[in-house]
Amino acid sequence: MEKVILHGRGVISGVVEGEALVCPHSITGWGGINPSNGVITDWDNPNKGRTIKDTILVMPGSKGSNGWSCYFGAVRATGCAPRGWMFTEIDSSAGVASAVMQIPTIVDFAPGEDPCQWIENGDYVRMDGSTGIVEVTKGK
Amino acid sequence: MKLTKEEQAMLDGGQGRLVQIAIENVIRYAEVLGASELCKITKATVFCGAHCYLDVYKSEDFHEVFTHMNMARDETVPFDRTCPDCYIQSCVAACDQFEFEPLHQSKEFFEKNAYYVDEARKAGVIVTGSCSPYLTGWIPVRGEHFVTTESGMTILGNSLWGACCNADGIEAAFWSAICGRTPKWGYHVQENRHGTHLIHLDAKLESVTEWELLGKAMGMKLPATMSTPVLVGDFEDVDFVKLKSFFTTLAVTTNCRLCHIVGITPEAATGEMAFAGHEIQGEITITQQDIDAAYEELCDKPEGTVELVSLGCPHYDINQIKKVAEYMRGKKVHPGVDFMVWTVYPVKAMADLNGYTRIIEEAGGHIYTSTCPTTIGADLLKHYPNQVYDSLKQSVSVRSHDLRQNVYYTDPYRAMEAALTGRWKEEYRWKK
Repeated sequence: MEKVILHGRGVISGVVEGEALVCPHSITGWGGINPSNGVITDWDNPNKGRTIKDTILVMPGSKGSNGWSCYFGAVRATGCAPRGWMFTEIDSSAGVASAVMQIPTIVDFAPGEDPCQWIENGDYVRMDGSTGIVEVTKGK
Repeated sequence: MKLTKEEQAMLDGGQGRLVQIAIENVIRYAEVLGASELCKITKATVFCGAHCYLDVYKSEDFHEVFTHMNMARDETVPFDRTCPDCYIQSCVAACDQFEFEPLHQSKEFFEKNAYYVDEARKAGVIVTGSCSPYLTGWIPVRGEHFVTTESGMTILGNSLWGACCNADGIEAAFWSAICGRTPKWGYHVQENRHGTHLIHLDAKLESVTEWELLGKAMGMKLPATMSTPVLVGDFEDVDFVKLKSFFTTLAVTTNCRLCHIVGITPEAATGEMAFAGHEIQGEITITQQDIDAAYEELCDKPEGTVELVSLGCPHYDINQIKKVAEYMRGKKVHPGVDFMVWTVYPVKAMADLNGYTRIIEEAGGHIYTSTCPTTIGADLLKHYPNQVYDSLKQSVSVRSHDLRQNVYYTDPYRAMEAALTGRWKEEYRWKK
């Protein structure tokens, strides 16, 4: 199995692993997720219908309404949060959501190591929120 | 994290547990961003009310819900204070200020929302109920640091007024309103406010709808994150309504939160000033074709009956309501159509005073305050299979509800025609 190592800035510690769910255009704020089960409802999202629960969620950053973090906070409250997540480049909405979620978080990836480019749905990912190292095993 | 004495005292619990949690959370947030200090804020809007995303936490006690959901803590601390140096007012709530039955909400839910809003009022929040806080005089000036739960307000305040704000979120707006601090990062730092992408507007924009579509067209071409566009073009007929609509659309279709408009916004008297010596990272041209294409994916095609026609996102000002009253005078909304106009309570009071409310009601419509269709959510939307909006934001947001058949988006006059005929017709589609 091909392995890829990516380097970001670890901002919330913890080591987790699981299947990747990659949203290259992020998830729209306010209503983009059903908080009761973590299923993406965003009307033009290629991952519409998939749940973020127990995944390693990969996004470039946030998108849309300032009501972005609250939907992830609600997902946390129902126990449907991802195991960990990463953002190509941190932004303020993603920063608030991370402070709320308190799950292992890696942000600000090195040039040429954009996780949205290197990781695909179904890849197996191990991430360390302390060191910022992401280990990707390609394919299932 | 470099803290002032006052901030350290808050962190040590000197102002009570609520303030302590608030500043702890702001520090956590700052650490994720990579900020090393905080800055004072003097204005805030916060998201009060029994909003649908709070339903996941089951409790009758507002304060328990508030601490778990908005403060993200597994304990209960009364929300009983806000920062006294900060002008804080409420954003939209989950209900109209006074009515619930016409919006298909129960009395029980209406009372729950009123309870949530009133507890926030007791804590120091001015109950306003608007996504457009400037309609009631909440206007940050150039260089003033503010937080807001309204994404359109974030970009408008940054761009048009040169005030300083990031797109924080519902929770962080409460944290900042309580402790009076936000991370000194992003657009709170003057050096970060320069443009990154040059946008050439190669189209003549005339209507509010076209300005909204410009926001979507830019969203389709800008990078996914962290861009600050600088827009150049012919802005001869621009006005505040066009700009507030444009900024709102840009905010919901991107994560952009500052857009310089050369010759219009204060930090962009010239393109050189907007880029402040920084390299242009990308150049994009928006043509009339791009504006047309942005429209196509936002308006469904089938002709047929409509049940809801909604105007007013962002909340209408009094002049916009006047225009609706002038158009609807002596006409009748088609039976089976609910025609709704959304604004903030003081503007509704002015509409009453000026007779606009009476004209709209005689036509069969109604002016509502303090909320909007997408904020109310499924309880309202599920009653209307076919919906017409004059707002790109609403027409995008309601598409994530699998409760409707068709969503139509057009300008206010064509939307009013749909209300009068009770149908969506091809001729109501927006055209240049």
